[in-house]
Amino acid sequence: MGPEDDGVMPMEEDGDLDAEEQGRDLEAWERAYAEDRSWESLTEDASGLLLAVDVTQQQRQARRRYAASKGPRIQRGIIRYLFVICDFSRAAAEEDFKPSRMGIVANCVEAFVREFFDQNPLSHLGLIVIRSGVAKRLTDLSGSPEAHIRALRANLECSGDASIQNALDLARGYLSSIPTYGHREILFLYSALSTCDPGDIMDSINACKKANIRCSVVGLSAEIYICKTLCERTGGIYSVAISESHLKELVLEHAPPPPAIAEAAVASLVRMGFPTRGAEGAVAICACHREVKLGGGYTCPRCKGRVCELPTECHVCGLTLVSSPHLARSYHHLFPVPAFEEVAVTLHPSGKNDALRLCYGCQQELPVAGNKSVAGVRLECPRCKQHFCFDCDVYIHESLHNCPGCESLIK
Amino acid sequence: MKFKIEGLTVYFPYEYIYPEQYQYMLELKRALDAKGHCLLEMPTGTGKTVTLLSLITSYQLANPAGKLIYCTRTVHEMEKVLDELRRLHAYQEKEIGKEAAKILALGLSSRKNLCIHPVVSGEGSRESVDAGCRKLTASWVRLAAVDNPNIETCDFFENYEKKGADAMLPQGVYTLHELRNFGREKGWCPYFLARHMIQFANIVVYNYQYMLDPKVAGIISRELEKECIVVFDEAHNIDNVCIEALSVNIRQQTLDGATRNLNKISQVIEKFKSTDANRLRQEYSRLVEGLAQRGELPLADQWLANPALPDDILKEAVPGNIRRAEHFVAFLKRLVQYIKGRLHTDVVESEGPMSFLNSLSRECSIDQKALRFCYDRLTSLLETLEITDTDEFLHIQAVCDFGTLIGTYQRGFAIIIEPYDERMPNIPDPVLQLSCLDASLAIKPVFERFQSVVITSGTLSPLDLYPRLLSFNPVIFKSFTMTLTRDCLCPMILTRGSDQLPVSTKFDMRSDPGVVRNYGRLLLEMVAAVPDGVVCFFVSYSYMDGIINSWNEMGILQEVMQHKLVFIETQDVVETTLALDNYRRACDCGRGAVFFSVARGKVAEGIDFDKHYGRLVIMYGIPFQYTLSRILRARLEYLRETFQIKENDFLTFDAVRQAAQCVGRVIRSKADYGMMIFADKRYNRHDKRSKLPGWIQTHLRDAHLNLSTDMSLHIAREFLRKMAQPYDKKGQGANATLLSQSDLERMEQESMQT
Repeated sequence: MGPEDDGVMPMEEDGDLDAEEQGRDLEAWERAYAEDRSWESLTEDASGLLLAVDVTQQQRQARRRYAASKGPRIQRGIIRYLFVICDFSRAAAEEDFKPSRMGIVANCVEAFVREFFDQNPLSHLGLIVIRSGVAKRLTDLSGSPEAHIRALRANLECSGDASIQNALDLARGYLSSIPTYGHREILFLYSALSTCDPGDIMDSINACKKANIRCSVVGLSAEIYICKTLCERTGGIYSVAISESHLKELVLEHAPPPPAIAEAAVASLVRMGFPTRGAEGAVAICACHREVKLGGGYTCPRCKGRVCELPTECHVCGLTLVSSPHLARSYHHLFPVPAFEEVAVTLHPSGKNDALRLCYGCQQELPVAGNKSVAGVRLECPRCKQHFCFDCDVYIHESLHNCPGCESLIK
Repeated sequence: MKFKIEGLTVYFPYEYIYPEQYQYMLELKRALDAKGHCLLEMPTGTGKTVTLLSLITSYQLANPAGKLIYCTRTVHEMEKVLDELRRLHAYQEKEIGKEAAKILALGLSSRKNLCIHPVVSGEGSRESVDAGCRKLTASWVRLAAVDNPNIETCDFFENYEKKGADAMLPQGVYTLHELRNFGREKGWCPYFLARHMIQFANIVVYNYQYMLDPKVAGIISRELEKECIVVFDEAHNIDNVCIEALSVNIRQQTLDGATRNLNKISQVIEKFKSTDANRLRQEYSRLVEGLAQRGELPLADQWLANPALPDDILKEAVPGNIRRAEHFVAFLKRLVQYIKGRLHTDVVESEGPMSFLNSLSRECSIDQKALRFCYDRLTSLLETLEITDTDEFLHIQAVCDFGTLIGTYQRGFAIIIEPYDERMPNIPDPVLQLSCLDASLAIKPVFERFQSVVITSGTLSPLDLYPRLLSFNPVIFKSFTMTLTRDCLCPMILTRGSDQLPVSTKFDMRSDPGVVRNYGRLLLEMVAAVPDGVVCFFVSYSYMDGIINSWNEMGILQEVMQHKLVFIETQDVVETTLALDNYRRACDCGRGAVFFSVARGKVAEGIDFDKHYGRLVIMYGIPFQYTLSRILRARLEYLRETFQIKENDFLTFDAVRQAAQCVGRVIRSKADYGMMIFADKRYNRHDKRSKLPGWIQTHLRDAHLNLSTDMSLHIAREFLRKMAQPYDKKGQGANATLLSQSDLERMEQESMQT
């Protein structure tokens, strides 16, 4: 017998390969179909014609997200100060997401910035990028989405290692100076799988915890232990994207304000100014750009200083300046429309509950128990007891933030 | 929770139980009912220990069964078992009350781990602690101390002895640490207390050696009753432990030392002759009556009784030619001289015990019968001569051990004399190896003596080989798979590099630069895609050194370092511990690290790379044993002739179990996840693959066979993303992985109906 002799049984090798060919796995494109087995939900009627696919299950699946968020009314921080940290290290050049991780990250950040300001008009956001082990601040905490997007678009290149600690320390430096009523947050979009730090990262994490900074991470490739620890310690969310669309979903999940931690947000009165919009054609020097501007702009009610955009802090007297629609738009986070409940209704032949035949929102026919002509779920608002269809439910909870049934009750 | 298995009430300290744990209990109970031995394979991370303990203690409560003897490999494992036991015991007390759940459980280890004497416990090695202890506690030392207060004794031992039979441990569970604390509190010696308490304990946890090594087993395990249940945990290497217990290596240094020992003994004999000749005479008459008489000596002075020796020898009188001390010394001198002569050889010699014995009796008229008594006769002599520093007499003990073994067994052994190390032919380093070839010899008394022996581990595949190797008949042998809520195991077989050329560590391929480069590229791609810790196993130290060197020259290592830090296992224990420590730190702080290690090394056997410490393990090549080794070849031949096990079958079995052991390091619990890459084209063959344990095979999908580097990279990425998603820990419906009490009650009812 020679060293590590294994010239035995060459016959078996061939047989083996054949067996493998037969039982080979599905191709990547086949898998998506194989997993949800959509053909199994097709049904035929007595004459062999295909019936419409029952969408009830799909709708229930889609509604699970609301159901999960159902619960007692929670306090949320609507004045947020958030740093978005993009990792543009070497790993961001990987092309497993098309065109590259960096491109996708930039797209997501752009969508996120818009969504963020849409949902949190009173909040501020800043951008930091990590490149070659160094964290660099692209934009200061401010309220203008366009400025952030412009700065990011101008900075799309990647190189070197990533360092979580550097980014944390930088962001913490800026966040520690903001007023106490504001909620401090950091959101990482992390491509790399490691972090090259100058010191002990645990110190930085503990410092963030002490400063009440909530850190969340959206990973692009795999679960990293240190990111998990960071999120667990600071009360953030850690998620990893499977695909481009999933990444976007995960990032946008951070747009609605997170529940406030009781000790982090002490309820306090915040002094705010509601400035008036300057008349068209009036000439004034704005305090933010130190330029002469024609028309537009807002005047601070306390010091009469001029600013270009709301919301912001007055550059002269430091008063928080907002407009009333901003406050109103943040309001729904605090008083959300209650989650609707699924109900089943049988119609009386007498026509007694005829009003329940149609959706209160869109006046389309609603599904009825025992009758298959209309598929889907029937939903009831727990407050006004009106019934809605699936599409109205989505519209009411995601865009409208008001229940038409409840609103008409007020009168 | 509390439930019934075929009528037996089982107390289980957790809210939920895994289905495989339930199955395991069922099979174990059947084996205990049948009063037979069993062989059970269940993957690590499924709570094997608590399952075993829970069922057996419940069984003990219900039936008047004997003790549970739980054998572990390391002190660390022992502590883990006792911790688990404590939790179980607390639960049982809560369920059925303090009185009913009374147990005494303790761990037993060597003096080194138990000694609390301020000076002796500070000694470095095991032998020196033993000797230090003996110097203070030997009967003649204590006798002398009665008259002369200047002679030092051990207070703890004295206190313990004074108490006599009243020195008892209260009921409870004692780890080594707690034993020491208890000893300090009472001022009793924990070591002797623990040894004494074994006969009263319900559960004893100790090392394999105490059961398998005849030299130790004689003292410790002699008084255990037949009804005992013996458990060998992590027993996948049990055959090797058995073989080592009965193998002796004798080198030039051993012989030199032995000669020194003999000279010293002669001097002492001379001294005794002039001062206390009576003692020697007493010993002589005792030896005439037979070795068995030694049992009357005080406890502390018993060194050993070889259970491997048949009973009739123990009762027999010691042969006349070695009864007198000076004759025995002369006898040993002849033996040492003979072995010395044999070591002076330029060629490798290999022979069976019979021919060795023949030439021994021809050349220096040493007969087999006298040889057989060698070890016991030496022990008796050392006692008579009141020699306490036994650590200096290790050499002559080794020679006597050799003599006894060769005098006792004529089959299943080989004597191999090698003039130099195969790898360094220029340096003469003669060694005489008495190698045990038959693992069943050492374990045979265990199987015969005890009613139920349970052999269990995460990797015992193929199951049918173990009963043959150890020659016993298990009433139950079974392998359990792990129920998982998600596919958290991802084994892959990589057969080709990124250039589609096959990779292997086969002898003719391993130094091919193409293969080396492909292996390097594999590592490089993987470290860029896998977070935190990556572990690589190589087939041998020399291969690892070679390939790391080449990678360094090719610049691959430098590229790897951009992603992760690199740590390497060496043969130096301290260095390796340091490397491991830093490896863990690098994983903890997010820098990421790679650990290069060797299959069959210390790391592969005992260190866990769970959670983020090991997200991927790459097994480079198949860890075959060094097939040119003469010992291995002698063993293979013996296995073929005696047990009809084909050489190739055994080699593959041994290699694959090592590989499985290595890759199994990354999964330590169900919540964990990890990937395993078998990087060698030979793994793709059925004969290798089929020998992997069941829990790996079930996850080895066809799509994960015969991969190239880029394909496996793709799978790895997808797998890591999938595993990072939140999941439901409990599982639902058919793949429920947790059973509650009500589930079990329903199952029980269903099985009653059918």
